[in-house]
Amino acid sequence: MTPAAYTATEGGALLVVAIVLPVIGMLAIFALGLRRAERIAYLVLPGGLLVALAIAADVARSGAAVTYVLGGWQPPLGIALRADGLSVTLMVLTAVVLCAVGLVARGSFSTPTDKAEARSPMVFWTLILGLWCALNTVFLGQDLFNLFVALELLTFSAVPLVCLDGRRETLQAALRYLLFALIGSVLYLMGAALLYGAYGTLDLAGLRLLARNDLATSVALGLMIAGLMAKAALFPLHLWLPPAHAGAPAAASAVLSALVVKAPFFIILRLWFDVAPQPANAMAAQMLAWLGIASILFCSVMALRQARLKLMIAYSTVAQLGYLFLMFPLAMASDAPTAWESVGWTGGVLQLVSHALAKASMFLAAGLIAEALGHDRIENLDGAMSVVPISVAAFGLAGLSLMGLPPSGGFVAKLMLLTAATETANWWIAAAILMGGILAASYVFRVLNRAMAAPSSNFACKASIPLYRELTVLGLAICAVVLGFVPLQPFAFLGIGRVGLP
Amino acid sequence: MTEWNFLLVATLALPLAMVVACLHDAFYARILSWLPLAPVPGLLAALFERGDSIVIAPAPLRLTLALDDVGAMLLGGASLLWAAAGLYASVSMRGKPGSGRFAIWWLLTLTGSLGVFIVADMTSFYLVFSLASLSAFGLVAFEDTARSRRASQVYMALALVGEALILFGFVMLVSATPGGNPLIRDAVAMLSGSPLESPAVLLLILGFGLKMGLVPLHVWMPLAHPVAPIPASAVLSGIIVKAGVIGLIRFLPLEVPSPDWGMALMVLGLLTAFYGVIVGITQEHPKTVLAYSTVSQMGVVAAVLGAGFSTGAPGTATLAAFYALHHLLVKGALFLGVGIVGATGSRNLARVVIPMALLAFSLAGLPFTSGALAKFATKPLFGDGLAAFMATLSAAGSAFLMAHFLGRLRLLANENAGAVPQTSLVFAWALVAAASLVLPWALFPEITSYALSETVSLKALWAASWPIAIGLLMALFIQRIHSIIPRIPEGDVIVLLERLQPLAARCGIALERTDLVLRRWPVASILLLTLAMAFGATLQFAR
Repeated sequence: MTPAAYTATEGGALLVVAIVLPVIGMLAIFALGLRRAERIAYLVLPGGLLVALAIAADVARSGAAVTYVLGGWQPPLGIALRADGLSVTLMVLTAVVLCAVGLVARGSFSTPTDKAEARSPMVFWTLILGLWCALNTVFLGQDLFNLFVALELLTFSAVPLVCLDGRRETLQAALRYLLFALIGSVLYLMGAALLYGAYGTLDLAGLRLLARNDLATSVALGLMIAGLMAKAALFPLHLWLPPAHAGAPAAASAVLSALVVKAPFFIILRLWFDVAPQPANAMAAQMLAWLGIASILFCSVMALRQARLKLMIAYSTVAQLGYLFLMFPLAMASDAPTAWESVGWTGGVLQLVSHALAKASMFLAAGLIAEALGHDRIENLDGAMSVVPISVAAFGLAGLSLMGLPPSGGFVAKLMLLTAATETANWWIAAAILMGGILAASYVFRVLNRAMAAPSSNFACKASIPLYRELTVLGLAICAVVLGFVPLQPFAFLGIGRVGLP
Repeated sequence: MTEWNFLLVATLALPLAMVVACLHDAFYARILSWLPLAPVPGLLAALFERGDSIVIAPAPLRLTLALDDVGAMLLGGASLLWAAAGLYASVSMRGKPGSGRFAIWWLLTLTGSLGVFIVADMTSFYLVFSLASLSAFGLVAFEDTARSRRASQVYMALALVGEALILFGFVMLVSATPGGNPLIRDAVAMLSGSPLESPAVLLLILGFGLKMGLVPLHVWMPLAHPVAPIPASAVLSGIIVKAGVIGLIRFLPLEVPSPDWGMALMVLGLLTAFYGVIVGITQEHPKTVLAYSTVSQMGVVAAVLGAGFSTGAPGTATLAAFYALHHLLVKGALFLGVGIVGATGSRNLARVVIPMALLAFSLAGLPFTSGALAKFATKPLFGDGLAAFMATLSAAGSAFLMAHFLGRLRLLANENAGAVPQTSLVFAWALVAAASLVLPWALFPEITSYALSETVSLKALWAASWPIAIGLLMALFIQRIHSIIPRIPEGDVIVLLERLQPLAARCGIALERTDLVLRRWPVASILLLTLAMAFGATLQFAR
């Protein structure tokens, strides 16, 4: 059954390049010697950024999605890749964050000169590339099974990043992550199997045309979305995230918190808006939003009570993910003709992007602060301002975005969500957004207050941080702030390729 | 863009440029001496520019600056006080540890506080309002003592609550208008008749009322204003509270009669006016007394706005701004004067205390001072009934509180009998004090239909004098029973709230335990399956 045919567009081959380039990098690392891992990564990273930008330019110019059908074989036999406005935005975001992380990680994962090769640099750079390939596949895939494979690749690249240093606690955290993510995968796979049984296709466009309101579809969507929530660590399924994200090296934490948890959310978005029978179920949307509200409130308070900086940031990630789940009822109930022309949907996507930039910057800044001070206990952060002022400034700017204060991407995102909540009379959501902002401000200020205090008498600086690393972190934070100058209305770009789904 | 428009942009750009210039070490080292210059463009703009509006960034961003009469009046007064307080700070803060940091917070607060008077679009207003509110935290927290830490925490917590209230109110305002970022006046014009009118007005009154210190949201003010260094106290109490006043002026549809909301705001304001006096009278430290006086005076401004709002009287905004300008200059001068008294020995004290008394009783409407003009101009708004009587009585309350303040002030005098304050400090103080006496006279004919001579008629003089006489009598009486009046701690009701802290801590611990339980394997796995089933069931059965 071929309910929908994809036609490859000009320039579609770039999509393949976006996925294959990181793989080539990985293979090159194994072929050319593990010592060169870092150098090869530095070739691939900017290359990937250029590819992502080229695709984005293509989408922007043509105003339509870029599609590629591998080998000309139509789904369900072949594989189709498709970049619409949303996926290309996330691809560029991923490339930007990874390049910044690559720059900052330069110091920490270089192979020592006296050794032929070392385990952690090789693993780090290979996995970062693997993770990139997985993320791009998630963003471009048009088939539930391909998405499953991409998610697994993502999990298997992300888990070892957690336990790079090989300490007992991080191994434990990684194992927790792995097991829970696998349970999530099992649920997803079961749901996918049910859908295949019911409709005989796993192709998103095909399912969209066929989807009915029946028991099989409901059960399948329930299983898949719950499984994906487990992978995205939405409250109350966040058991694995705080130890994993806090235990990983800062560069890895940045990628995990900024990008990796967003991939399962992206698939939920796809399932909800592209697969689920329309009009979507309002009650189920409310349920997702309530989990989001619980996530925002509960985990913000938890962040406020953490003694260690990285644990605080990890809990803040769970809280900020909660905002993303608010968009389901907000996008549905609006007056806009389609969901993606609504303020709520745009606000949600903007929250995703600005959180990714801000959180990456915050984790990297926390890493640099910990490197300079030799610890990350919030109580003893005094003096950080005098040692790594730029990192503290980056932390503050990123914090601005998390708090939702102007000018920052987080402000515009939360303002849009709040506007949508007001327009659709979802007062609980509005209250949660405001409360979450106050709580976020409290935990960010708690850190800044300590970091800006004068150093105590027995203060010692453990390591000096090269300027370019600090400036990169600041650059990411500034990106999050600059996002605050986008106009307060739905962007046409994010809707490209969505209106006339094939 | 005309040549003067440049000044309006520079009002915001110059202080920000100074902050950026602090990245350069040599400039950073001398930043304190530059502080008095930062508000100069604002001052010039207030003098030479009126009614122009400039769009800095075109739609859909629409960053727009504009200066109307109300804005110019407050901008001019605020710039003057910022300049004088900056001069004071450049001398008094010199050599103190952390003075560079202080200067940066100072400049950021300055930018925000002048910005609220000149921005015309909603988003920029929120931006500059937040900037003023949050940067002032650095001024409150500067001393880094246990007292200032507590004060700054309370300040921050309430400022954030205020931000949330205002943001929500703004969103309700904007949701009635098409497009992303409307001009304030367009949004307000669309408000009446919109289904969200009542909640929006409520949120705006609460949010801006918090900034003005209206009871019961005033608790941060008596904590925060006294702990800052003298010049910072002057701008906090003189200028930053006016961000709330301009907020109400700009965002309430004052010209549309609204009897219910107007009455509510007036009652709240009068209540605050008396509450500030009653609690202020039990305070020991002159700066705390002044902070409570600010609470009380902002109550009067709120009452003026409420009275005008209830009838939709034209010119309410201008009159309230005029009152606010009078308070801005007088309160600024009084706070700076507290510092001058502290540096003056008993031998020269009279030369400082007499002008201070003049300023203090100006707040109660002493004839021939700006207070008399402000009270005279705003009186008709209250009509002839109970409200007018209460407003007059609040002047007696102010006289009472100020007599108490002067009594406490003398105790601050320098131990060294011959001590004299530095000339530049005196100059800064005298500049604001003189401006407070002169400026309102110059502005009065412009903003009201009365002739100046009417304000000094016998009837007016009598009306202004008797409340002060009553206030003084009350002060004499209270001195007799001084020992038996209870001491109310600074921040009054906040102390009751702070008793809840152990409870909050227990809640936090309970949440941590819940988190531990939720993050156990069996619990999380069961939750996951439950969610999957619940979600599937919802999709299937709930439509």
